Amino acid sequence: MESIKKKVISQFRRGAIDSNLECSYYPCHFYDQNCTHCFCPFYPCEDEELGTYITGRTGKRVWSCQQCYWIHRDDVAKECIGRFDGKDWGSMPMDDRLKIKAEIEQMHFKSARPLMVLGTTSGAGKSLIVAALCRIFSDMGYTVTPYKSQNMSLNSFVTKRGEEIARIQDLQARAARVEPRSQMNPILLKPLRDDVSQVIVYGVPYGDMDVGTYYNEFIPAKGNDILRSSLKFLAKTNDIIIMEGAGSPAEINISEFEIANLKAAEVADAPCILVVNIERGGAFAYLYGTVRILDEGSQKMIKGAIINNMRGDPDSLSTGIREIEKMLDMPVLGIVPHLDLDLPSEDSMDIRDSPTPSRFTVGVVRLPRISNFTDFDALNLMEDIKVRYINAPSDASGVDALILPGTKSTIEDLIWLREKGFEKVIRELHGKVPIFGICGGYQMLGKSIIDINSIESDTKETEGLGLLNGVTYFDKYEKSTAQVEGHLQLDPLKRRIRGYEIHMGQTENKLDPPLNRIRAKGKNREDGAYDADMKVYGTYLHGFFDLPPARDLLLSLMGSTEREKGEDGDEGEYDDIVERNLGYLADAIRASIDLESLRKIMGVRP
Amino acid sequence: MTYNIMLQSTLSGSGKSLIAAAICRYFHKRGYEVSPFKSLNISLNSYITPDGREIGMSQAFQSWACGKEPCHQMNPILLKATGNRASQAIVNGVPRKEFERHGKEGPVTPILERAYRYLEERNDIIVIEGSGTPSEINLNDIANMNTAELFKSPVILIGDIDTGGVFAGLYGTYQLLSEEHKRLIKGYIINKFRGDPSILGSGITRLEKELKAPCLGVMTYQCYSFPEEDSLSMGGPQRGGSPGGDVRDIWLRNLDTFLETMEKEIKFDQLENIMRGGV
Repeated sequence: MESIKKKVISQFRRGAIDSNLECSYYPCHFYDQNCTHCFCPFYPCEDEELGTYITGRTGKRVWSCQQCYWIHRDDVAKECIGRFDGKDWGSMPMDDRLKIKAEIEQMHFKSARPLMVLGTTSGAGKSLIVAALCRIFSDMGYTVTPYKSQNMSLNSFVTKRGEEIARIQDLQARAARVEPRSQMNPILLKPLRDDVSQVIVYGVPYGDMDVGTYYNEFIPAKGNDILRSSLKFLAKTNDIIIMEGAGSPAEINISEFEIANLKAAEVADAPCILVVNIERGGAFAYLYGTVRILDEGSQKMIKGAIINNMRGDPDSLSTGIREIEKMLDMPVLGIVPHLDLDLPSEDSMDIRDSPTPSRFTVGVVRLPRISNFTDFDALNLMEDIKVRYINAPSDASGVDALILPGTKSTIEDLIWLREKGFEKVIRELHGKVPIFGICGGYQMLGKSIIDINSIESDTKETEGLGLLNGVTYFDKYEKSTAQVEGHLQLDPLKRRIRGYEIHMGQTENKLDPPLNRIRAKGKNREDGAYDADMKVYGTYLHGFFDLPPARDLLLSLMGSTEREKGEDGDEGEYDDIVERNLGYLADAIRASIDLESLRKIMGVRP
Repeated sequence: MTYNIMLQSTLSGSGKSLIAAAICRYFHKRGYEVSPFKSLNISLNSYITPDGREIGMSQAFQSWACGKEPCHQMNPILLKATGNRASQAIVNGVPRKEFERHGKEGPVTPILERAYRYLEERNDIIVIEGSGTPSEINLNDIANMNTAELFKSPVILIGDIDTGGVFAGLYGTYQLLSEEHKRLIKGYIINKFRGDPSILGSGITRLEKELKAPCLGVMTYQCYSFPEEDSLSMGGPQRGGSPGGDVRDIWLRNLDTFLETMEKEIKFDQLENIMRGGV
């Protein structure tokens, strides 16, 4: 024992050494362990949660630390050095040392406190809520890890050790400020073709399986072991595990095969919260149905609900919330507002990485009040064109044409456009790629919008983007609605185009040539305007691209455009964006969720 | 005698507009005069009728599926969100600044009545579409169960399995209805399924018991291009087009292909029976 004491004292003098990669025994407990306390200052702690007595080779009872990871956790090792700092370690009685151990355990639990975040559907927003909770508890000083037992995704990420896990767990690990590792997502399913997926276990390909083989053979044979071993590891190396379910826990037809939701929660002994996305409505029905269709034992595991993605006034839900709380006998922990974040969500990532590249990308600015986006269906159907809806200016890089679509509120959306920083991007693209404005988007392209009588907004005059010379007047509360027919001025064949106008306001433009000759309500007139030199085109016509002439115009403009593809920005820039947005996300969740109640559910003190 | 049938769903974007269009098409092809109807549409995608009235784009498409030009009676109230929680109300195809949304007892009922009766006089079958979901316990909802009650229409509930939780959604939607509204539900459909439907068996049986109504079928996910009305479905995958044509023709051609599959998956005889007042 004296020799151990000496070694421990010398360890403390060295300070934290992190992983000792030169040691031939490394990693004796787990990969990236902190090796500072090769000899434990608390030995033998006789803490049954950490170790056990075994019979040694000589027949003597020996306290074994083989299964203890705690002192080799980076956070615990460093905390330990701090706590003993300057104290005469060698003469400290064991009781005093164990007091220090108990103090450290207050913060760094010997077995992590888990929380399972379930969703009523996929796309409920679980992933980002998990990321937010990872960040929030990390901010409180806890060591946190995300976890999802089984993930189906084509977007994977490779850890430092070369293990493949789902991309979203990497994002959550960033939020938790920890290094991603395979235990965070021990099973990754990568769909190969109908019903067949590549199964990746602990980051390594295991085999290709169809659904039947996976659920009837693989899961019964291996599922439980994988759940237990991954969760056990994370529980021993973290203070808190924020677990994410998959899809809905209420798939009553497959519940016996399922390991991603309640089964994982049961193995981890995790209380569950249920997230519902209110965006498509039916939130109360989905909450009620998801809980009440489960068997009684499972119902009891669910301790609270979160309503996610709320646009508009959360107070409008108060009667519904009171009712559902009473019916389900559990609290609604918060209403999370709809957030515009520059973070990848699992689902959107799958759409973004569309496997079939098209020749041209047409960017349509996704104005908050975008109207008649069926206008772009015809473009999307063309083999050469992929329509990309653009939420942030950075998404506009690399587009071959830009369209400002119709909007219900031209002035407010123009203000939004400026606030978001789109104006700069539009000016950069001006003259380089064709820019089209449809209806409200056409009004925005002009010099100004005059609204003397506050028909649309309280702003009397709003400066337009100035790419065309038109001035739009909102004089009266009057809406122009008409079906029209005609042809493009630029079309030498004068082929027929067809469309319909729905707009408030009229645009005057004596400087630019009109884009279309049309007949509406029995009268011949002109529509729209263009600037051929700078490739700017505006029209009031919805359905403009429904017939070939306008599509041909767009294609010919894009075909004649020689541009350099935009750079995607370097890695560091991306990290900054992610970091900043994780901060926004965590702030928004902090502000909208009752964390006090959540902590009580988890058994975590402030 | 004009028969009707109403489609409601557990959440918006579950595909009920398209299913309504396909049902319109089905009966139109069998020689019936058919019309779509939606009391109240909340959408920024609209269409202009030949007489210059504005209605929801879905009703225009459904009308083309019935082989006719749309008229404003097919969608008497259209709300277009203008931001800041305000909406522009289009009533009978014309914007009405002073109009506000009222409950069942307000002036809305006569507007719906007039429009519906107009269609009733001219058609054999009216396919009614609900709006959003009937389960919003925080709202006084005229577009779903009140419309079904008003026009004595049997209701088919549509669940969207694409994002999962379909059984929970159907069960919860049903359970949150009042007893008399529960009785209006005569069947349900599971939409947007991918894979082998036999896997759903145990869930379907249990739901039939819980809802006291039969499952009319499980519909395969078909991602053809159709005019969408909901901004949430933007940017999704689409196929079924070829360059060079009129997109409206493409939409109708896609609808025919869609219906071909649907006829194999949905028990239309049972649906027709429900429409004619049978059980």
